Amino acid sequence: MWNERMEERIRQRVAAALWIGVALFVVLSVRLWYLAVLWGEWFRERSERNRVRVVFLETLRGNIYDRRGVCLAEDVPRFRLVFLVGSSDEELVMKRVREVLGRDIAFSLRERAPGELVLLEDLSLEDVVKIEENSERLPGVLVEAYPARKYRDGEVAASLLGYVGKVSPEELKALGKMGYRNEDRIGKSGVESFYESFLRGEEGYRRVEVDALGRVVQVLDFRSPRFRYSLQLTLDWELQRACYEALGRRNGVVLVGDPATGEILAFVSKPSFDPNLFSRGLSLKEWLDLLEQKSNPLLARPTQALYPPGSLFKILIALAALEEQVVTSRESFFCPGYLEYGNRKYFCWKRGGHGRVTFEEAIAESCNVVFYTLGLRLGPERIARYARMFGFGQDAHLDLSGVKTGFFPTPEWKRETLKEAWYPGDTMNLSIGQGYLLVTPLEMYLLLCAVANRGKVYDPHVLWRVLDEDGRVVKEVKPSLRRTIALRSQTWDTVIRGMEKVVTQGTGFNCRGLPVRLAAKTGTAQNPHGKEHSWFGGFFPSDRPKFVFLVLVEHGGDGSGEATLVARKVIEWILQNRGA
Amino acid sequence: MMRREHFFVLVTLCLCVLGVIAVYSVDPLRDEGFGPKSFFGRQILWNAVGWALFLLFRFSDFQWLFRRSWLWYLLSVLSLGAVLVFGESDETGARRWLFSRSVQPSEFAKLALLFFLSSYLSTNRDELDFWSLLVKSAFFVAVPTLLVFLQPDLGTALVLGVLWFGALFLGGWHRRKLGLLLGLVAGLSPLSWFIMKDYQRKRILAFLDPWQDPLGSGYNVVQSQIAIGSGGFLGQGWLSGKQTQLRFLPARYTDFIFAAFCEQFGFVGGMVLLTLFILFFWIVLEAAQRVGNLEERFFASLFGILFLFQVGINVGMNLGIAPVTGIPLPFVSYGGSSLLVHLAGAGMIARLIWRTEQEERERWI
Repeated sequence: MWNERMEERIRQRVAAALWIGVALFVVLSVRLWYLAVLWGEWFRERSERNRVRVVFLETLRGNIYDRRGVCLAEDVPRFRLVFLVGSSDEELVMKRVREVLGRDIAFSLRERAPGELVLLEDLSLEDVVKIEENSERLPGVLVEAYPARKYRDGEVAASLLGYVGKVSPEELKALGKMGYRNEDRIGKSGVESFYESFLRGEEGYRRVEVDALGRVVQVLDFRSPRFRYSLQLTLDWELQRACYEALGRRNGVVLVGDPATGEILAFVSKPSFDPNLFSRGLSLKEWLDLLEQKSNPLLARPTQALYPPGSLFKILIALAALEEQVVTSRESFFCPGYLEYGNRKYFCWKRGGHGRVTFEEAIAESCNVVFYTLGLRLGPERIARYARMFGFGQDAHLDLSGVKTGFFPTPEWKRETLKEAWYPGDTMNLSIGQGYLLVTPLEMYLLLCAVANRGKVYDPHVLWRVLDEDGRVVKEVKPSLRRTIALRSQTWDTVIRGMEKVVTQGTGFNCRGLPVRLAAKTGTAQNPHGKEHSWFGGFFPSDRPKFVFLVLVEHGGDGSGEATLVARKVIEWILQNRGA
Repeated sequence: MMRREHFFVLVTLCLCVLGVIAVYSVDPLRDEGFGPKSFFGRQILWNAVGWALFLLFRFSDFQWLFRRSWLWYLLSVLSLGAVLVFGESDETGARRWLFSRSVQPSEFAKLALLFFLSSYLSTNRDELDFWSLLVKSAFFVAVPTLLVFLQPDLGTALVLGVLWFGALFLGGWHRRKLGLLLGLVAGLSPLSWFIMKDYQRKRILAFLDPWQDPLGSGYNVVQSQIAIGSGGFLGQGWLSGKQTQLRFLPARYTDFIFAAFCEQFGFVGGMVLLTLFILFFWIVLEAAQRVGNLEERFFASLFGILFLFQVGINVGMNLGIAPVTGIPLPFVSYGGSSLLVHLAGAGMIARLIWRTEQEERERWI
């Protein structure tokens, strides 16, 4: 019924509605305060994340120079085609790119970063020009420069310089904290790997503002990638090249260095590979081909391959025998072509025998019988002690990654591992550098350095100095004395005289007649897989040595053959071009 | 002292001006300038028409509208039916428009129902608080509500439903009856889950936890909160909110215009808008209290309730405390139908204020 009470109630209801409105106003205001003021900062950051996209650009690596300033490795610009997803129709753009370039293209469509697809990599300049000319028709497509590593005559110094590649998932896990990203390049071997921290530069970035559809509105800022340091190596590029060419089609090693400082001047390993292939990005097939080649071109032979040293090891035996006074320089021996021990005959390499030889002649002729005798006089423990003194089986402290150490057998080792006693026959094999003994070419090179320098051994190194962006020297590697082997000076004199006779009247006859006093030793490493490996190593001028060299030719036959021929070319080149 | 009517006109005008400013700021076609090509140009044109209606109703007696309320009711039901048959769809697939997307009959249905309810209840004032009238009015409201629901336009259907409940509340129905009704609705609402469309269910879920799926169903809510939040206290300045300008904010000129406004003008700007809204509501309800005629009192207070509910739901969803339903912000959101309806209604309220002021003055004299 309509009455006063009802009318009053309606009036009250209107008033109530008013207060409901006020309450709502308060609730909305509080919420607005909460969002805009209390949490404003947090939301602003969200908004930033919404609109700003950061694309990181590959870092530039520093250059690598040789000691005379020849650039061996540098980053050169390559071009890739990037498509910004969402900025236009993908299919249409790809169709037009095909039209513009006038050929059918298989696009890689690799997602480099969220919202960025790489359409094509390694564009030719011609293609770049075509794309730029038609950029109006290609919305969302941009040509981006990226660095690629370029090596001068890649194969010549590949095992020393190494190569770079995309960082692997395992490396990323280990190095993630150091700022490596998915697409980054990293040194994989050699100098590139060992000096990664110097060579790696600063990454660049491009920050772009995008709208809700991912379209790029504007580029906010851009920092181009930079490198920080370049390296100058002790390597002499022309010499390296000469050594590489001297090996010709043979596989093997050439090492040349300065014994007074430890500087490595040439570091050749053959067969080699072209590290430029890695910068381009190897196909799986190319990579498998490289891995499966029997000759193993990826192996840095001077530091990673193990060989028996053969007669080159007699240098150590001779030093030890003289120093331990189990022989004098005047003692003479008789070589009938074999040595009988127990009821076995141990043969000299010269089946007819050397007849009567002095100690120095024994070095020159590399007479096995004499060294069997000396080995037996010394015994395995003393030989092992001298080997340790000269650093065999120990870290060579060379500034390259992946450097291996050889293996030096001892009676304890044989007892523990082979469960067999050490026989005098083992000692005799060891004395001529055969049997269980394995060395890296670098270890033999260091032995030669020790002799050349009369006991003072400097750490071998390939880095000379570190240069900053403007070419200023920020760090220089000083010679660092690793060990001093204190032998009597007659010991050194006698062995060096013997080594001179190797050239003048012994097995090193291929190097006879060079206008320099040369001390060297040949070696023949028996090889169960085929023809012997041929060694030749020494130094010159022998009275004040400036160059130590070591040549190994795989399957080169005996030591007086291939290796000496290679060495002769190297020495002649040095005498002609660098003086001695 | 300023007369109440003038103050009311000022508040309404401020809302409309801020609306145009807001629409301009999010207008992707603003370079087209004034005129029907740009959104803000069209909003200005609608404002011109709307204010013409405002003046029309301010200066003419609109009693005839009440007398023909049945006609408006039938017309709106018919046009809503026509929408379902001939209507044009929008991007979401809902049919809401007639005449090549220029007229949204559901907006006009709000006004028609307003007249119908106030006239129907006041003519049946003897039966107020009776179950029979409640059921009959429920039936009359249910018809257009169902038609709107079928479009589907959950938001407007909700508005019509709330209008009916508001009518019962303002019509003095006993608290127990209203409580029972509310209880019934609350008890049955879980069942509505089964008749909801998939996108509607997603919206409800997104409302409960938008950050669950910030790029999918929660996108609107999340982006709107980011916009409001990043506006901070003073805002990022006109035309410079990144959320808005880079179009991360969806439905920038309609449903989420409040968020776009707040990103640019901050907490302060938002409070200005909210204050204008509450002032508008306050004046309308005060007018309802002063007016002598029951029919007009119902009309004014229901108009206030309609306004309040739309503001509450719209701002609430912008702030993430109400589910996303396509309810425009009165006077501010881009859209002709809504603007015309609200300006016409405001014109009538202005007349009521003016008349009660006249009457009061005469009483004093």
